[in-house]
Amino acid sequence: MTAVIVKALADLRRRRLQAAVIFLTVLLASATGTMALTLSSQTRDPYQAAFEAQKGAHLQVLFKGTTDPQLLATTPALIGASSFGGPYPATDLQFKSGDRKFYMTTIGRDTAGGEVEVLNITSGRWARANDEIVLTRSFSELNHISVGDHVKVTSVRETPTLTVVGQVVDIDEGSADLSSQHAWILQAAVPALTTPASSTYVMDYRFPGDPTSAQLRGYVDQLRASLPAGSVTASVNYFTIRSAFNITNQIVTGVLTAFSIFALAATIAIVATLVTGIVISAYREIGIMKAVGFTPAGVVGVFALQIIIPALAACLLGIPAGTLASQPLLANSSHALGLAYVPTFSIGLDLVLLAAGLLVVSVAATLPALRAGLLKPITAITNATAPRTASGRRLRGSAARLRLPRPLILGFGDAFVRPLRAILTLVTVLLGVATVVVAVGLPRSFALINNSETGLGNYQVVVDRSGVYPDSEVMRILNSQPETTRVIALAGQTVTVPGLGDPVDTVVFRGDSSHFGLMVIAGRWFAAPGEVLAPRALLQDAHLKIGDSFTGSVDGQPLQLRVVGEVYAIDNFGHSLYTDLATMAAIKPAVEPFSYRVTLAPGSDVNAYVRRVAAAEPDLIDARASDTSIIGPVKIIDSVLLVLAVVLVLIGVGGVFNTLLLNTRERLHDTATLKALGMSPRQVMVMVAASAGLIALVGGLIALPFGLSLHHLLNDVISNSAGNDTPPGAYNVFNPLELLLILVLGVGVAVAAALLPGRWAARTNVVEVLHSE
Amino acid sequence: MSELVRLTDITKVYQGGITGALNGVSVTVERGEFTAIMGPSGSGKSTLLNLVAGLDRPTSGSVEVGGTDLGKLGEAGLARFRRDHIGFVFQFFHLLPNLTALENVLIPAQLKGTVVPGRARELLDLLGIKEVADKYPARLSGGQQQRVAIARALINNPTLLLADEPTGALDMHSGEQVMELLGRLHRDGQTILLVTHDAKLATRHAARVLSVLDGKIVDDARLESPERTASEVIRVRSEEASR
Ligand SMILES: Nc1ncnc2c1ncn2[C@@H]1O[C@H](COP(=O)(O)OP(=O)(O)OP(=O)(O)O)[C@@H](O)[C@H]1O
Ligand SMILES: [Mg+2]
Repeated sequence: MTAVIVKALADLRRRRLQAAVIFLTVLLASATGTMALTLSSQTRDPYQAAFEAQKGAHLQVLFKGTTDPQLLATTPALIGASSFGGPYPATDLQFKSGDRKFYMTTIGRDTAGGEVEVLNITSGRWARANDEIVLTRSFSELNHISVGDHVKVTSVRETPTLTVVGQVVDIDEGSADLSSQHAWILQAAVPALTTPASSTYVMDYRFPGDPTSAQLRGYVDQLRASLPAGSVTASVNYFTIRSAFNITNQIVTGVLTAFSIFALAATIAIVATLVTGIVISAYREIGIMKAVGFTPAGVVGVFALQIIIPALAACLLGIPAGTLASQPLLANSSHALGLAYVPTFSIGLDLVLLAAGLLVVSVAATLPALRAGLLKPITAITNATAPRTASGRRLRGSAARLRLPRPLILGFGDAFVRPLRAILTLVTVLLGVATVVVAVGLPRSFALINNSETGLGNYQVVVDRSGVYPDSEVMRILNSQPETTRVIALAGQTVTVPGLGDPVDTVVFRGDSSHFGLMVIAGRWFAAPGEVLAPRALLQDAHLKIGDSFTGSVDGQPLQLRVVGEVYAIDNFGHSLYTDLATMAAIKPAVEPFSYRVTLAPGSDVNAYVRRVAAAEPDLIDARASDTSIIGPVKIIDSVLLVLAVVLVLIGVGGVFNTLLLNTRERLHDTATLKALGMSPRQVMVMVAASAGLIALVGGLIALPFGLSLHHLLNDVISNSAGNDTPPGAYNVFNPLELLLILVLGVGVAVAAALLPGRWAARTNVVEVLHSE
Repeated sequence: MSELVRLTDITKVYQGGITGALNGVSVTVERGEFTAIMGPSGSGKSTLLNLVAGLDRPTSGSVEVGGTDLGKLGEAGLARFRRDHIGFVFQFFHLLPNLTALENVLIPAQLKGTVVPGRARELLDLLGIKEVADKYPARLSGGQQQRVAIARALINNPTLLLADEPTGALDMHSGEQVMELLGRLHRDGQTILLVTHDAKLATRHAARVLSVLDGKIVDDARLESPERTASEVIRVRSEEASR
């Protein structure tokens, strides 16, 4: 055994560079793998912990403001809730902070504690007077509002001023960058801040055990059946909130997992290539080892250990590094949950990873080493090198017909002299290039979707009005501005759709809404009253398809609707409807727009326009430039993709480098001969670079379609997780020239990786090499 | 006749070598000469040949070939020099195993950027092996391989043909054929520098025999008539044997 270790260590010293390649690739692969696993094992738990600690509501139901609170108090018993909160009176409040105005469901509640939905106060205190308001921390941080700031309520005529006295973490709503937010005031403060149209009640329910999504839907149906028609206006179950909380981490985890598998595959390819290569080049040595008494297992051990030792070192560094690198993401999610950040890691998981990593590497190393173990000593000693074939002839032939210079032709031939090695190297190149394609494409697909949602290229200004300020006045102000070329007005309405429990949030447009910029996936934009569009999830859940007609209802009033198209919209995980105001013409009370998207004449000064409109009515309308920046979670995903691309490119470079090292070592003798015949150092380098370039070219050519399909697939997975199909435009974010550029860069990087082995080959000492025959 | 090779006061000490492989060698070779270098194993024959080929550099002294001081050439310059002026034949042929005989012959021309498949076939024909043109080295006998190597050495019309024990790995018959071939090339005007152990082969074809011992040229015999002087050479050989 000691002989095996001594020999392995000696060989390791001799093959330092290859050990370095193994170290680097295993390091990168183990770090990304650890990150993926640490994240996926930790994302569920913190939410669950916070949910329990804050007695989160399994179900929140909104009731019409006209419902009898007495009656509502009987609902928990009706559906078997173990505890409940409410009924809390609530209202849609609009308030102004600085220049900005916000809409918020504001709930009348006298304490932060209670049986359900305990609000975790992270700064300040709960409201004690009618002019005090409590906000979520997520919202306050996103909009830079602090305890002590004043906000001016603009949704009621008196426009009272409230003081922000506290910030809380609410486990029953998503973070502010993804979801709309709640605020709290004393119950006694509610009436003065409420307009009749915006009055609701909120009930929170908790159930014994962990109810399923279907059970929760059943409870809502029960409520609907036993209360006067139209009493239930909305419901939210905790699965939705949990997904909203976890979606970023889930996507990051999914992406990391997928690409860790790539990294692992590439590492296995490199290890197998290397061990096969070492066995081939050490053919005679193996014979000698056996002759002096190494057992077959000992021989295998010597070769496998040469890989396992650097791999172990890499894992010992990579696993903690991956654990460390996942901390910011975990800290991010525990912050969102209002939990104190505690470094999260599991020694057990890390040990399992270490063992698994070593096992994979050992298997990848041992299989090719078996060949050495099984070699008959006498064959090994008499054949100085493993038998070689005349492969690569056809390749050389076609290169020769192209009249390429001889060093290029020889290099091309060398690239595929050992087909298995060439294929394994292709795999590493392929995975690297494909990852780059995805890392280039996905952020663009995200940006495209982001642009459609923020109106980039379609409108520049967003205006909202207070409920007490008439729509006609807003239109008058907007139309009197010379730059205004188009105004699309938006209203909201909930529509009951047969087959769906919850009423559906419906966006109602007035004006030339086909220029609103939403992406139509199939069918067309609506063109007549009664025509609607919906995302995939709604169509699927309501068993609707394009062309189908159905009867919906608004507050009990029937509405004849026809689906004319599928639209991309992630709100409520794909449960929303889009139609024209004319569709709602018969509905009482009349549906009125409250938000406006203004398209300005080209070249207009957006800020000047916004200032002018805001000045026309400082309190009751909110005008702002449309914010087209990418939201935080997407930025996180984009940067994770970038890091992964770098990791897989590095591993790919390691693969090419490793193969070139093996090739140039094996062909040392031929190179010396060529040099003796007058091949110049430059020509030697061209030869080595040519074989690297060819591998990268072939790998890249396969990688492009592979990367494109992967980009396609990831788009689908991500769209799916938000209840949508992928808009066709999100697939086609590449320009052919760019793909060509990626290919050229891939070849360039491979050629650069060839410089070092090329230099060594060029410096081959002819006399020594040919002398040692 | 004009001078082609001039070695001036050459010493060569290999890295880690205690004594020099060559110790103060000065010699000139004329154009058109067929010179044999003889000497015991380890005496420095190959070292001498490698220096003339520009494959290695002397520790001190200068090597001039065709008026060019090789010490003044860089690596690329030396490669160009070998390509343009030197044909090298090795004891173990050193054919590239994954190229056919014809492709092997063409390599030096292609490195130079010239395309001369016609001449390559002519050479193979001249050396009596045109039928092996498309075979791989592994399929050829030693004698055939060495003739392919000679064709390869001649493809660029070298000023100087260097051969380091070209018969060393061949049976007697093949060895004689190869020497016959070199003799014929010499008669056609090719300058040849040949390292060999075999005194008989050397004296039959070479007009001059340099004897090397411990890194020094100890004898420089110009053979007016090969028969007469063969005995002198054999004397050197016996000295070697008695060491
Ligand atoms: N690359 C090298 N590194 C170190 N020493 C060398 C090297 N090549 C040759 N030598 C040493 O230099 C001396 C001369 O070697 P050289 O190869 O020139 O001898 P030779 O006359 O060609 O011998 P042989 O007839 O066995 O081929 C020897 O002592 C040899 O060991
Ligand atoms: Mg020698």
